[in-house]
Amino acid sequence: MLPLRDLQKRFESALFDDAPGAIAPWIRGCERDAAECAAIDAHARLSIYRNNLREGFRKALALEFPVIERLVGADYFRQLALAFLAEHPSSAGDLHPIGEPFAQFLHRRFEDTQYAYLPDVATLEWAYQQSLVAADAPPFDLQMLRDIPQEAYGQLRFTLHPACGLVRSAYPVVRIWAVNQPEAPAEEVVDLSSGADFVLLRRVAMGVEMRRIAAADFAILNEFAQGAVLANALGSAHDLDADFDLGEALRRFIGLGVFTGAQLGSSPPHGEPLP
Amino acid sequence: MSTRLPSPPAASPSLRTGIGLRAQHHADIVARKPGVGWFEAHSENYFAAGGAQRSYLTKIRADYPLSLHGVGLSIGSTDPLNRAHLREIARLVHDFEPLLVSEHLSWSSVEGRFTNDLLPLPYTEEALRHMITRVRDVQDVLGRQILIENVSSYVQFTCSYIPEWEFLTSLAEESGCGILLDVNNVYVSARNHGFDAHAWLNTMPRSAVKEIHLAGHTVRPMARQEILIDTHNTHVCAAVWDLYAAAANRFPGVPALIEWDADIPPLDVLVAEARKADEVAEVNHVAAA
Repeated sequence: MLPLRDLQKRFESALFDDAPGAIAPWIRGCERDAAECAAIDAHARLSIYRNNLREGFRKALALEFPVIERLVGADYFRQLALAFLAEHPSSAGDLHPIGEPFAQFLHRRFEDTQYAYLPDVATLEWAYQQSLVAADAPPFDLQMLRDIPQEAYGQLRFTLHPACGLVRSAYPVVRIWAVNQPEAPAEEVVDLSSGADFVLLRRVAMGVEMRRIAAADFAILNEFAQGAVLANALGSAHDLDADFDLGEALRRFIGLGVFTGAQLGSSPPHGEPLP
Repeated sequence: MSTRLPSPPAASPSLRTGIGLRAQHHADIVARKPGVGWFEAHSENYFAAGGAQRSYLTKIRADYPLSLHGVGLSIGSTDPLNRAHLREIARLVHDFEPLLVSEHLSWSSVEGRFTNDLLPLPYTEEALRHMITRVRDVQDVLGRQILIENVSSYVQFTCSYIPEWEFLTSLAEESGCGILLDVNNVYVSARNHGFDAHAWLNTMPRSAVKEIHLAGHTVRPMARQEILIDTHNTHVCAAVWDLYAAAANRFPGVPALIEWDADIPPLDVLVAEARKADEVAEVNHVAAA
């Protein structure tokens, strides 16, 4: 008698490690006509499950990274998916989280190659997926600032809406993404040196919007995302743009539903009040 | 979402049979309110914290009865029960108040590594005890009965000595779970392993079967033989309709569901398939009367 745990380990190893030897002796053909069904041996039967594992994983990954699949082609994507499966098998009963380490995987594989933009495209696609499923939250209401004295604004911490994402890349990833949508014409060439992208993702009625924003906008939002207070966050924006207009930027962000709240944070050691 | 939902009004004119809910059909369902009896959602597709998927499910739940069908709890695994996964299911149960909640007679993980497939169990006393314990645990956490579905399988284990029907029946008796009878899976496994699907069906206890699944499968040549794969990508085949007629006769009034998960057709194709299921059950009911 093979204990259940031992059986499951052997079976699972046959699928992931392509090592059916340990479980094969415990698999039988059909009962009704042994001679007929014996022709389908244990290895062939196990190959159905192995195929289910690989194809199920590949399909789930392709649903999350359709642009990567289109960029590299279905055949090569399948190879990538298998290599990724070997390094990062699913660790949950829900397949959706499998894509989380995919950009890092692509980075290790393609850094210092002409395909070094692929990891950034994957980062953008993953941010898109995260935005789709993020929690709902009420938009920021300016009334929330009513009871806060103006001289304390420098200590405000703005909370980004859970569905807002920030992605930065040295490549024009938004353009790459757009020309590789299913409805996009097949042959548009994107000049990889045509500029860096600072991207704000946010949820809109019909899905997720990707918006290219200014470097200073990105910097201040990124500081907020890290939990910085306004005074410090503003410093990052000013470092990039001496003329950065805070009031105008905040109105724009609020109009886009980027924030869901703001609280007074404790003073960081180097914090200074707004001028 | 924390508010409780009102009981849904009956969709009208309504078929009795339901269909599996797929994201491709969300907008169409909300816009057209097709007259199917109910919808079944794959639990894992709605684990999202928020966003469009859950919003659609809320809208659809307001108009139709709903069941939650899990494919990833890995209930038969010897790993510790996946509490995080179960919490997500409990959250859905709380938020959407489904009519039925179901899982599979299968496992999918070892030491936290998941195949995300419905792998077969050996039918042994040890596996039966294990399943009884796990099903009881899940039912305790959810505070309600769950249904366990028979799966399609492509292997049998030499150490299995309890017939599948007996295993499933004992599980239902001892854990208090119901049985989700997938007639396509019975047919697929019967063909793959050489048993009589109708005889299998006739062993299922009438009182334990709470839901019936119907789906299409693929016949694949293998080693100069054929093996049937449970692909859910096509129409229900004639032999499975025959088996369903027998099931509808044996389990009158048990809700049936059309599952179609790959190469998903327009909503109307699924509604037509549900109508056919109603007709098969009705004709059979008249013939039996």
